[in-house]
Amino acid sequence: MDAPRSNWVGRSVRRKEDDRLLRGLGNFADDFSLPGQLYCEILRSTVPHARIVRVDTSRATEIPGVVIAVSGQEAKKHWKPLPHLVEMMGLKQPNIYALATDKVFYEGEPVAAVAAESRYAAEDALAAIRVEYEELPTVLTIDESLGANGRPPKIVLYEEWGDNLQLDWQFSYGDVAGAFASADLVLSDRIRVQRHSGMPLETRAVLAEYDHRRRELTVRMSTQIPHQCRSAFAAIFGLPETHIRVLSGDVGGGFGNKTQVDAEAIPILLSILTKRPVKWAEKRSDWLVSGPAARDYVHEIEVAFKKDGTLLGVRDALVGDIGCDGAVRTGGVHSLLVGGIYIPGPYKLQNYEVSVRAFVTNKAPYGPYRGFGKDVANVAMETMLHRGAIALGLDPVEIRQRNLVDEFPYQICTGPMLENGSFRDCLDRLVKEMDIEALRKRQEQSRKEGRFIGIGIASMMEPSGFAGPMSMFSGFESASVRVAPDGSVLVLTGIQGIGQGTETSIAQVAADRLGCTPDNVRVVYGDTAVVPYGLGSFSSRGSTYGAMAVYQAANQAREKLLKAAANMLEVDPLDLELKEGCVSVRGAEARRLSLAEVATAIYFFPGPYLTLPNEPNPIPEGHCTWTNPAVRWTPDEAGRIQIYPFHASGADGALVEVDPETGEVRVEQLWGVHDVGKMINPKIVEAQLVGGAVQGFGGAMFEELKYDESGQMVTVTLGSYQLPNFRSAPPMKIAHLETPSGITPLGTKGVGEGGIIAIPTIIRLAIEDALRPFGVKVNATPLTPPRVLDLIESARPSTRRADPP
Amino acid sequence: MERQSFPISVKVNGTEYRRQVEPRLLLVDLLRDELGLTGTHIGCEEGICGACTVEVDGEIVKSCLLFAVQADGASITTIEGLADGDRLNPLQDAFAESGALQCGYCTPGMVMAARALLKSCPAPSDEEIRCAMVGNLCRCTGYQHIIDAVKHAAEVASSGNEKPRVT
Repeated sequence: MDAPRSNWVGRSVRRKEDDRLLRGLGNFADDFSLPGQLYCEILRSTVPHARIVRVDTSRATEIPGVVIAVSGQEAKKHWKPLPHLVEMMGLKQPNIYALATDKVFYEGEPVAAVAAESRYAAEDALAAIRVEYEELPTVLTIDESLGANGRPPKIVLYEEWGDNLQLDWQFSYGDVAGAFASADLVLSDRIRVQRHSGMPLETRAVLAEYDHRRRELTVRMSTQIPHQCRSAFAAIFGLPETHIRVLSGDVGGGFGNKTQVDAEAIPILLSILTKRPVKWAEKRSDWLVSGPAARDYVHEIEVAFKKDGTLLGVRDALVGDIGCDGAVRTGGVHSLLVGGIYIPGPYKLQNYEVSVRAFVTNKAPYGPYRGFGKDVANVAMETMLHRGAIALGLDPVEIRQRNLVDEFPYQICTGPMLENGSFRDCLDRLVKEMDIEALRKRQEQSRKEGRFIGIGIASMMEPSGFAGPMSMFSGFESASVRVAPDGSVLVLTGIQGIGQGTETSIAQVAADRLGCTPDNVRVVYGDTAVVPYGLGSFSSRGSTYGAMAVYQAANQAREKLLKAAANMLEVDPLDLELKEGCVSVRGAEARRLSLAEVATAIYFFPGPYLTLPNEPNPIPEGHCTWTNPAVRWTPDEAGRIQIYPFHASGADGALVEVDPETGEVRVEQLWGVHDVGKMINPKIVEAQLVGGAVQGFGGAMFEELKYDESGQMVTVTLGSYQLPNFRSAPPMKIAHLETPSGITPLGTKGVGEGGIIAIPTIIRLAIEDALRPFGVKVNATPLTPPRVLDLIESARPSTRRADPP
Repeated sequence: MERQSFPISVKVNGTEYRRQVEPRLLLVDLLRDELGLTGTHIGCEEGICGACTVEVDGEIVKSCLLFAVQADGASITTIEGLADGDRLNPLQDAFAESGALQCGYCTPGMVMAARALLKSCPAPSDEEIRCAMVGNLCRCTGYQHIIDAVKHAAEVASSGNEKPRVT
């Protein structure tokens, strides 16, 4: 097979998705309707921890237009508990139903549901349902969840567990004690990040139809993982998967928050019980109170340095508050594991000890959010490097250059293999892009004028393509590529479009292999009846797993087209080129056949026996389920496995100004230098990086899912959650380096999360740098004006306390 | 309990519709559920996100904050009314050129807000765009490329050049 020569891969082709989205003709789940449909609303718990004594739905069904109202106890007769998403690491898994039966574990847990002739009647019905709770004492902090002084906690959420620990993992490598004993400098700190999450603009939406006569269930929904949803519905409802179809068209943002089945099962149940289609469009306030939450952790980290800045050893204790569950209702608990694994980052460090513990509390479930732990790792190591530099009198760039890996492949001490990388080059380029020298002069000048500007930088990496054993995210992806008799190309991909331009980039890959244009390629996803079993979109896997499955499948179709054309033109297939919609003889381009001519000849005129004699599967189609050769699930001698095969490199920088009178922070500029391997569509790559960066900015500056001291959610409106807007969002400049991955012929590495990973870090460090004259250390976010003022105040010698907020 | 309903008449994208509606029916629900114009989206229920932005009698409004009965007799333009048959209008085209949309959920509201801005301010600065469109949230793009799109559309309109650039 000739080495890939690409015409479309690498070009910023205009997105195929855009036309329908700009016209308002998108295919979002709530845009669809079926005759006779009912509307579902969900009654959610108003208390954070309670036994359910009684649910009285009788008055709800008296309201005109209300067809059904069910409690968790009634629903239990008709369905099974939520299935497990991940089984690895001996996770403790709550046994729960989509509608709570005996207990509620968080304020917002679904307790009852109704279906009515209109959305409005459904809301009326909710108000008529009476629920009697026997409130239980709450567990709202890590301390309460852990228990004091080695004794078991007073309150345990899941009685059968005996404690509140869902994940408990320790790892040690090298001679950590020796590293610390020989250190010239040991720094330790407590680094905290608040609870916040993806907050996509489209909430969850479902249109469920159960056809009783055919025993067929069709579920249109907003999800990142249509196939796994189908498998989950089969388990919940006892239906064969072959009789379930999940449709996911356009999805209004996922960011990891739509990788589970939770309340989505409820409208399906109501459809089965009422024998009518049932629609559910989640209210924003319901999403805020019950949608997958993320982050919410604290590092207690110690780093040992040599006086020249060399990293000798690191110890970290990472503890996360994962709400009522991070494994079944939604699967976010492993992000903390990923955090613990990647703290060493792209640095030469072989003495490392980490413990990761995830505690349950009476808050909303804990799900994946862009970054999935790579951000958790980044903030810890980069903050300590920054502070190490200051303590040792070194430049923050210099301390990183001293420690960055520069010989590849390099195995991080926790296991992941860095196949290649350009970390040093990215950092060097960042320094140039920012013109740090000029910024330092400006900083000095500003201080003289009583203004406080600050610079923050960080190296980063984006591990992507998570392939987890014992999970529904098990590292494969499927595609079918079919050339029709008329020469048009159909690609069926298991990747899901969630705004990242799947239809376009996948079409570019197929177009290159088949010598046609992306316009000639139709990409279909999000239909489990049509598309081969795939794992959907998460972990930035579209340009690696998704594209490689298509690449291989397209190659199979390509081989057959070339062979047939070779027979028709009476030449050797190696003498043929496939480009511009034609197969032509190299050097004699007048001798050519269009894709349509070759395809029609294979299928019909004359047919396969003459065009592809003795060829197995003699029509121009290909199929591939791609797995990654760099993934390894059998542990090595140190117990380590390879589950993140690709690593993109990068370095990010921020320039901020802080007003110490008001606490206001203005992020003047962000910079990112990113190497994501081969870029399929540079414009799409840039869009992902900028979008991710602004999400990271929001998380650092003001986003917070806040609870009060009684476990009630305070941020119940989008306005109170505070998303970045046109006025607050900072500008970002991006530069690209391109070191192709050696793992695949395409050379891509994944980019979906790269934008967000280091942004909260650099904003924290830039603010710390700006407020250095005040002796401030930024150890927590969000950096709202009151917090910034408090940081300045607590750093004053007269008010300095042991543990600033 | 009997629910009252009232007759209303609205013109949407040039077409007259007459419907009987409950007083509490939101304009956005009239457009989406009654009239099948699902291009206008719902992202919150408090008028913060702007995904539901439409034009009513020449002014943009958040249609989740208006009752259908309040729009009785009004002339409404939604996202579906912008394109000219097969061709996107120059503003929509500018969005595509500039990479100003990703998931597309905020996009109809964004385009309606940008259109209103360009009507009153044909050559807005970055700052004017940021201020005028602050009522529209986007979670995917980080806003930068939307600002580029609005400026590009303004340039195209002022140069009188209707032909879009092709990559």
